[in-house]
Amino acid sequence: MSAQSPFSLRAGALSLVLAALSGCTLPKSYVVLINNDDGSTGKVMVTAKEGITELQQAGTGAYIGGADNTPMVVEKQKIAQDFGIALAARPTPLKRFVLYFEASGSTLTADAQAELNRIYEALAERSTPDVSIVGHTDTVGDSLQNEALGLVRAQTVAGLIMGDKLPEERTSIESHGEKNPLIVTADGVDEPRNRRVEVTVR
Amino acid sequence: MRFPLLWLRNLLPLLVVSGNAFAQSPTIGYVKTVGNDAYLVLGQDSVSAQAGMPIQEGHILKTGNTSGMGVVLKDNTTLSLGANTELAVRDFLYMPGKDSLKLELGLIKGTLYYISGVIAKLRPDAVAVKTPTGLIGVRGTQFLVLVDPEDVK
Repeated sequence: MSAQSPFSLRAGALSLVLAALSGCTLPKSYVVLINNDDGSTGKVMVTAKEGITELQQAGTGAYIGGADNTPMVVEKQKIAQDFGIALAARPTPLKRFVLYFEASGSTLTADAQAELNRIYEALAERSTPDVSIVGHTDTVGDSLQNEALGLVRAQTVAGLIMGDKLPEERTSIESHGEKNPLIVTADGVDEPRNRRVEVTVR
Repeated sequence: MRFPLLWLRNLLPLLVVSGNAFAQSPTIGYVKTVGNDAYLVLGQDSVSAQAGMPIQEGHILKTGNTSGMGVVLKDNTTLSLGANTELAVRDFLYMPGKDSLKLELGLIKGTLYYISGVIAKLRPDAVAVKTPTGLIGVRGTQFLVLVDPEDVK
């Protein structure tokens, strides 16, 4: 049994390795599912002509193609060896911020200054940041006016954070108006948590 | 009925010109981290990748023997390439308001650390990472994928 086998051998993997030794050319390409930053794990579906393998547990992997598509455990050492450079190339994780506004206009709440300072810090931490700024409103007033108001709010924030570190071409400004509320309400409801601008610093 | 044909013939060169690699394409993301042996390839053009450079649909991200490269797309999809890697950004549509969402990547060879973004969250079926021997579908997650050079057709 080869000590260099990329996977801990489970029943499924064994037959695959035996098939490889017997001279069939099987794919060596493989996928490994890993945890999200928050510790949760999503799902990956690996589809090849032989069938579909579903991975649901962090640290499990599957060859892409081949006769056997049973998930297999991939050792940490193997992950570090194969993916060390890719893992190290990961950009600074993005950060999200929310700035709230007073009713019916583009005046930031008093609390917004602290959040603005955190945005300045996030910009300083990155060598070439790019930023998405999305304005939102509550459902007071008609939806067209709210779309315009959301844009004014987004532009207000853009005016406060664009500069040498964040040139205009790396800043995207848009409005979702009242269509993307944080708190879903009936029409015409004054909801402070919906009067906001969401900023993503990448 | 000569007129429609003539019209079509006049239009054809315009279509060809607008379809070439030099056409101004929208920015869909940016290079964030990069070693000194990494490139952005578009058609016949290849430029040495630098942090802050914009990525367009159709770009092939390429790394040499020792370099990695990290990029973030506008939907927050984060792609980190290992060495000796070629990743094609084939399709990127991100207009959540119009429900127009698509991400198709082709890992031609090498290694990729994939972190899903908003497109995978809103419409998981619209995301695919293709490799020479199959394709990977994503349900809001992070994964690693290696394409062995021997599997490259």
